Amino acid sequence: MKILFAEDEADLQDVVKTYLEYQGHHVTAVDNGAEAVDMTKTDAYDAIVMDIMMPVMDGISAMKKIRESGNTIPAIFLTAKSQVEDRIEGLDAGADDYLTKPFSMEELNARLRALHRRMRDYKVRTLTYGNLELDTEQSELKAVNTISLALKEVKLLGYMIAHAGQDVTAGELLDEVWPGEDAGDDMVEMYISFLRGKLESVQANVTIMGDRERPFRLMETI
Amino acid sequence: MDIYGSYRPVIEGIMNKLAALIESSGHRESGEKLYEHLIYRIKDDESMREKLKAGGFAENEYNALREMTDAIGLRVVCLFIDDVYECVELIRALPGCSVINEKDYIQNAKPNGYRSYHMILDVTSEAPDVEGNVPGHFFAEVQLRTIAMDTWAALEHEMRYKKDISNQKMIEQELRRCANDLAACDVSMQTLRKIIRAQ
Repeated sequence: MKILFAEDEADLQDVVKTYLEYQGHHVTAVDNGAEAVDMTKTDAYDAIVMDIMMPVMDGISAMKKIRESGNTIPAIFLTAKSQVEDRIEGLDAGADDYLTKPFSMEELNARLRALHRRMRDYKVRTLTYGNLELDTEQSELKAVNTISLALKEVKLLGYMIAHAGQDVTAGELLDEVWPGEDAGDDMVEMYISFLRGKLESVQANVTIMGDRERPFRLMETI
Repeated sequence: MDIYGSYRPVIEGIMNKLAALIESSGHRESGEKLYEHLIYRIKDDESMREKLKAGGFAENEYNALREMTDAIGLRVVCLFIDDVYECVELIRALPGCSVINEKDYIQNAKPNGYRSYHMILDVTSEAPDVEGNVPGHFFAEVQLRTIAMDTWAALEHEMRYKKDISNQKMIEQELRRCANDLAACDVSMQTLRKIIRAQ
């Protein structure tokens, strides 16, 4: 992983950088929040590890600036053990996790790995099942042919693919695709019908079973 | 001289007869029309000559009516995808016609996004054909598609015949996307019609 590490204590900075590099990461170390913000503008990192108390610009302000710029990279804060408010403020500013000083280097590395894993899952852009490819960014469904999908159809089919071969109820689909919206089982049925038409149109070897009485299930037909 | 020579009135007669047959049978028992409109044409002299030349054939009436199959062309434009397939069945059943080739570019869209159903017919006529057969055999091509597919094809055709388009790659890509959007609409409208009619 390519890690940006902001820490003003020279000794700690040196020890953590050495350890993480020994673990196979590439580490760019900076001394304060302002430098960290600058670095994120020019370089792409897989994660940021940042101290809160730093001169020039503290970690929380830096975090806010980074998030305001639209950067979603995973971030871990290092905080002093007593500062509960700092931890809350840091998480609210956009951090994904924190560690209290003194911390175990192995734990820091494990948390970085965990964040990286999750980010990778979030970034999955193309979902596949059978001969289907669902491009969630382009809202496009492809098998033999290609067809566009409405955003609700992308969410619905994405959920069905993630639960392929399993029973999925209309209630589950309502919670997933129409959260907080005025929609009922009829809406789910209509969108299932839309998807069935589109699956047929692209010549998918995949079909959605189920109806008003029975739960839905995405299955391969061959 | 006319590329179709003395056969022009014959093929015009066949085309008009085909159109009349489709017009007279192109509706459901309820009276609802199976298609929105039907257009037809004899491929004009210049285009036929160009096509023959491009295929390496001598420009004569024999080649125009034997090597080429689209001297007579008809286009059936429907409201819904299911109607297209009903019209395909209707054309298969037309008297004096047999289907010698068909391609379903709705099921298998072309890479550029083109969607239509193509049929090549062998039409029997009382008049002798270019080989002297009586009854004569003449080719006719039928394209069937929805209004959305027709709109798309019109624009794609316009782009293809325009020279020196500066951002052709980008336009082609966006046309492909439009084809996928239109196909999505066609399928959704079809689904909605089924839901409405089931009630």
